[in-house]
Amino acid sequence: MFKQIVQGSLLLTALGLTAGDTVKIALTGPFSGGSAPMGTSARDGSKLAIAEINAAGGILVGGKKMKIEIVERDDEAKNERGALIAQELAAMSDLTGVIGTVNTGVCMAGDKHLQEKGITKIICPAAGSASMTQWSKAGVKDCSIFRFAAHDGIQAAMVVEEAINRKFTKVAVVFDSTNYGVSGRDDMLDQIKKQGSKLEVVAQEKFNIGDKDMTAQLLRAKSAGAQAILIWGIGPELAAISNGMAKIGMKAPLIGGWTLSMSNYIDNAGKNGNGTLMPQTFIEEPITPKAKAFIDGYHKTFKVGRIPSPVAAAQGYDAVYLMAAAVKQAGSTDTKKVKEALEDLKEPVQGVIATWNHPYTKWDPADVTTHEAFRREQTVMGMVKDGHVVFGNDADRERLRKSALSATPAKIKGKKK
Amino acid sequence: MNASIIGQMAVSGALMGLVYALIAYGFQLTFATSKSINFGQGELVMVSAFFSLTLLNLGVPYWAMIPGGLLFGAIMGLVVERAGVRLALEQKSEGWILLTIIIGLFFFSAAENLWGRDDRPFPTPISADPIHVLGVDVTRLELSVAVGVLAIMGAIELFKRRTLLGKAFEAVSADRDAAELMGISATRTVMLSYALSGAVAALAGILVSPITTVGPTMASALILKAFSVAVVAGLDSGFGVVLIGMFLGALESLASFYLGSGWREAPGLVLLILALAVRPTGVFGKAIIRKV
Repeated sequence: MFKQIVQGSLLLTALGLTAGDTVKIALTGPFSGGSAPMGTSARDGSKLAIAEINAAGGILVGGKKMKIEIVERDDEAKNERGALIAQELAAMSDLTGVIGTVNTGVCMAGDKHLQEKGITKIICPAAGSASMTQWSKAGVKDCSIFRFAAHDGIQAAMVVEEAINRKFTKVAVVFDSTNYGVSGRDDMLDQIKKQGSKLEVVAQEKFNIGDKDMTAQLLRAKSAGAQAILIWGIGPELAAISNGMAKIGMKAPLIGGWTLSMSNYIDNAGKNGNGTLMPQTFIEEPITPKAKAFIDGYHKTFKVGRIPSPVAAAQGYDAVYLMAAAVKQAGSTDTKKVKEALEDLKEPVQGVIATWNHPYTKWDPADVTTHEAFRREQTVMGMVKDGHVVFGNDADRERLRKSALSATPAKIKGKKK
Repeated sequence: MNASIIGQMAVSGALMGLVYALIAYGFQLTFATSKSINFGQGELVMVSAFFSLTLLNLGVPYWAMIPGGLLFGAIMGLVVERAGVRLALEQKSEGWILLTIIIGLFFFSAAENLWGRDDRPFPTPISADPIHVLGVDVTRLELSVAVGVLAIMGAIELFKRRTLLGKAFEAVSADRDAAELMGISATRTVMLSYALSGAVAALAGILVSPITTVGPTMASALILKAFSVAVVAGLDSGFGVVLIGMFLGALESLASFYLGSGWREAPGLVLLILALAVRPTGVFGKAIIRKV
């Protein structure tokens, strides 16, 4: 018994020694189930960036090059699994940071454990507003949670604008019953109000995860005269909506959250998905040399012809570079120092989506955008066309290209303070 | 609300209800010969659907895949019979209840490990475009469900009435001991009923998958409804399950429209409770007089 304890502690010390030479970053998300296309894409995009950094020798920390070590955890999109994983990560003494989480509910269930221990996390790609507003609502003074995704506030505004631009006046708001769906509905209704109620919401319909038959909801929307469906949900159920619309001969377009670009939406909806519109931060088109290198690298490394969720992959990739830049600037793997560096990144970070110039500022509970990297200008309208997501309009392509090539203007809000 | 919407909801519900009927029919087949039910029937639907999808992905044409899928379902039915039901029946125990549930759970885990947890589309050459009939939109895919369900049920009923083996099946259903005295092997007949029930489950999987996608949990909702249908219709009326299946499907669909989508599951449960309370033999079931 005594011998075992000695051996065990020796082993632990040995592990501790090796851990000291690496930057330990956890990648979490659903790698199985309905949200898996986003989870695996974010993880694999992150891994691509980590492989590049490690191949170049690692991150320069205090005069020493350190490689990145990955801790990978599958939360299965289940809130309770997410909470357990967060507890486990929070208990790790040598963790530099966490990148991940797809489901807003999982953020809500788990992030409090990380926040309590002050562990730096970049949420990617969960977009539900509630993941960040929970910290401002709680009046947290010092927040270690950041986000790297176009949050639903931006997306909902774009969705509502798109419907208005297309001269629709009557819409149905359709959403799933999860935290993500309900918070998306609230964002959309909020934006419709902000736009002076140019849109009349003729039906509000809810569906559950796993529902296959949406005829009832769609018929109610159709008989109420909805000209478009504004929707918040994830892949499989969104596809069931698209297919249900085709069945009852409903021609109204589907406009909704970025999840409409998930491969399990595009594949399961087939040609019924054509014309679907959704905000995107990355379109799988080689518009810049960096984008081309990223897309080719992803296809080659993970042996796919199409990235399951290009947005999640690109965000995962850029998030790693931001984290690496923060570690380098902090000159330390200590998660609290990395957090401070992340709030005040001195040098622009060249990512595949944009060149990130001071993406975050010091946390202000009154303004969640201090820990949000994305603004309206990094987001474009994507459209499903024959199994791929393409740019919804050409002006957007040019804008995203420029944003990736030249440094984005530093955040005005951040500068004022 | 106008009549066309009621018609639409009733028709698409009733067509889905035929899938419940088909699975309920699978329950009936085994109950007739052995007085046992495969509680893992839903998992049989699911693994057969996954197997058929694998055949399609290997390049087997759709129409050639169907017999392959049915054969697989039949073999899986035999596995359930051999591994669970026969052991319990030989000891005259009710152990088949737990054993079939456990085998079902085993199939579920195996499917998750072999094929993963994701829902996948099931390609079919049958078009999903709607046809407009009398103010109601129906897809060819939904019609194919109706045709498939009625065809296989019709074929099995014909087999039971017109062939010698079928007569043996009926004889064992009517009186197992008397049939054995006449030289009919009850064991073989029970095996046959499980094989048929497995094939029926496979067909249900093949027919419903293009509409619902294939995933490890695809049958969990279907199986509860099918069970309600089997109990409400009575465990010995093939004609009854078709009617009750369509009725329940239509009722569900109307409930989800008028009461809200959250109420979809309610009618099935209410019907089940009513049937058990008022007429435990089922609406179309025969009351069995037991002589003591």
